[in-house]
Amino acid sequence: MASQGVLQGIRVLTLEQVHALPWGTAFLADLGAQVIRIESVDHLQDRKSGPFVDGKPGKEWWNEGGNLVYFGTRNKQSLCLEVNSPKGREVFLRLAKHCDVVTDNFRPGTMERLGFDHPSLARINPRIITLSGTAYGYTGPWRRAGSRARTVDAACGLSSLTGYEGGPSMRASNNYMDHSVGNNVAYALLLAIYSRKKTGKGMRIDLTMQETGVSCIGPAILEAQRGIKRSRLGCGHLWKSPHNVYPCRGNDRWIAIAISDDAEWLALKQEMEEPSWAADSRLDSALGRWQHRRELDDHLATWTATQDDQVLMRRLQDRGVPAGSALTAKDLVGDPHLQARGFLQEYDNPGCPQVGRRVYAGRPFRTPELPMAIRDSATLGEHNHQVLREVGGLSEDEIEELAREAVISTRPGAEERAP
Amino acid sequence: MPGILSGVRVLELTNAPSGAFCAKLLADQGADTIKVEPPGWGDQARHEPPFMGGEPHFDRSSAFLAFNTNKRGITLDAGQTAGRELLGRLVKGAQVVIESYPPGHLNGLGLGYEAQKEINPSVILLSITYFGQTGPYSGYRGDDLVAQAMGGYLYAVTGSADRPPMGTALQQMEITAARNGAIAIMAALLQREETGAGAHIDLSVMEAVVATPSGLIHPYSFTGRSPRRGGGDHNVMDGMHMPTRDGEVTLTTAGTGGRPMEVWAELLAQPDLLDSKFTTRQSRLENWEELRSLVAPKLAQWDNLDLMKETMARGLVIGLVQSPEQVVNSPHLAEREYFVQLEHPEVGPLKYPGSGFLIDGMNPMQTTRAAPRLGEHNAEVFCGDLGLSMAELGLLRAARVI
Repeated sequence: MASQGVLQGIRVLTLEQVHALPWGTAFLADLGAQVIRIESVDHLQDRKSGPFVDGKPGKEWWNEGGNLVYFGTRNKQSLCLEVNSPKGREVFLRLAKHCDVVTDNFRPGTMERLGFDHPSLARINPRIITLSGTAYGYTGPWRRAGSRARTVDAACGLSSLTGYEGGPSMRASNNYMDHSVGNNVAYALLLAIYSRKKTGKGMRIDLTMQETGVSCIGPAILEAQRGIKRSRLGCGHLWKSPHNVYPCRGNDRWIAIAISDDAEWLALKQEMEEPSWAADSRLDSALGRWQHRRELDDHLATWTATQDDQVLMRRLQDRGVPAGSALTAKDLVGDPHLQARGFLQEYDNPGCPQVGRRVYAGRPFRTPELPMAIRDSATLGEHNHQVLREVGGLSEDEIEELAREAVISTRPGAEERAP
Repeated sequence: MPGILSGVRVLELTNAPSGAFCAKLLADQGADTIKVEPPGWGDQARHEPPFMGGEPHFDRSSAFLAFNTNKRGITLDAGQTAGRELLGRLVKGAQVVIESYPPGHLNGLGLGYEAQKEINPSVILLSITYFGQTGPYSGYRGDDLVAQAMGGYLYAVTGSADRPPMGTALQQMEITAARNGAIAIMAALLQREETGAGAHIDLSVMEAVVATPSGLIHPYSFTGRSPRRGGGDHNVMDGMHMPTRDGEVTLTTAGTGGRPMEVWAELLAQPDLLDSKFTTRQSRLENWEELRSLVAPKLAQWDNLDLMKETMARGLVIGLVQSPEQVVNSPHLAEREYFVQLEHPEVGPLKYPGSGFLIDGMNPMQTTRAAPRLGEHNAEVFCGDLGLSMAELGLLRAARVI
């Protein structure tokens, strides 16, 4: 596991599932923290979520999913420990005594039922930082409600603002909110670690998906208090035109063009070789272009439809016109810019040779002093012995006994089926 | 409660929402954040509609107000020698500098990373641009839509399968880049505590988009197929929005113990949902129109908050599609004291979104001030912090440096 990194020496115990919290703790793991992910043979959804090679789970499906490497177990350790059993609970508390951070994304109440709530942990480890990432938080009338990223997308207000112009509301994404919340988890935990270095004190963090979502749409929240209603605009813009996505040559190929001033409009006209429709004086001003944007979009789409999107993007950008192809994942994997920047990472999956070498997105920030690459990915229960021995101080005999009693495991139960 | 970052000074030299939001994240946790704007015009966001109260005014843009809480604001023309000199002095006193100029611009001013390091050896410089500091697209121009397109999000995520690509509202790619920037800065601050070394962080909005865990890259690498938009289409139980009496809702099959149709048939008093043609996810997609015609009229009899209460009691998971107004007036968020009220001389008191987390039960977002008016803190920063006299400030103003 990590021996380098700015968080070297920080130990995180995490009871995490699905997306947001694992995404958040993966940043800490990248930065060198020892992140111990507690798993359970009764809750293997994340290990069933894929993606699998050619879409088919293999013989050792529980270690083969691509999301595990990308965030689930990325640079983390896996301890497959049944914390619902009395012995598992006891082991968890022995570990928590020697950890800096404990995180979970159970619904409120579960940690307390297990005896893992903040006051209980702080009694055995006074400097502990705990974070619970939940749908709506530990207080308030909705505290017992669960969520999916999509339902948070809805509840925070973003979905109501998203949609084709004149059309119904749509979720922005099935997991954008997992991503935002995970980023906020990482930020909150780094703040807590920073604070503890300064003050020596731990803290309790009650982080919610909904509230993180609302913080993503600040302008609309202010507008709502003054009776300003935003309509859904698709790819349109409140003041820029042309500002949309336009069809290009080929199947399902598109280009986004975003013009904000006269200079960019003139450059676009030149690239179009001054068609007669664009000479219309109503289009000379930003105001006129916005007022006649539908007509303008139709003309522009007729022109773009004959062009190759990536060639057109380069030509427009060479003239200083903001434009971008709607790239597919395949395009991105072959993209010369991302390659030149070393953004994509190939990882060999040494723990899972049947998966072999695959490509993953990197982190969007780069600095030589903060390496953030995928170094490792844990198979189910891979670190049972190491963690229990080194962190919990258990003897090999004690560990063997836990294994015999199925309190710890390294593979799913016999009755568990492939996803 | 004093902010966690109260000992940190941040200098913000940005002209895009990503940099402004990133600096706001730090300012809201107590960092003394000085926003530097060009004299006269200021941050472009000041001039973007909508404006609070309707009339355009450079202190009333909702985007500017939302993304600049808890900052001090000064004006400075870095194109002038006196301006560059003052900027250098501000860099000297800062731990963190956030900039979003085109790559190379700061070098042209003589204030690139190496020059900043000369002045301030442990400075942490975050450069946020649409395409990063290096590579063939580094000189390209962008905005949130262009970033959504180039980052693969536009093609794959939001829109419908049978329609053109369509993006996410309210500049979410800028927000995502900003959150990544705050993570990188915290990592660099922690490192500085250990080693005293600074860092230059090169952050690309395009890459922030690609890196979303919707996972464009590795799913392609595993399956050979590029993810494509339309995942929510025709998905009555797990994706579509449907009207209620006073709003909209999106359902899920979560929390039904693997018996989604039994559970929902009972709750909605709609036994026809038990028909075998709705048993599997695939069959529900195939018969989506009929399924919707059974579900929608029943949902239309519910009020949002009642439906939320009932599903919560049964352990089900739904999402109320709330308008921003419903969010602002949410009893749940009120009880959690999520919003922070800040007073602004031009727009009055408004409730601002909090940080998304409570620390020891308290909202940690600072309530120092609403967004600064243009040049509001010139005297405070230039005279108070840098020690200029009022007479010198007058000279700088006459020369349009501030």
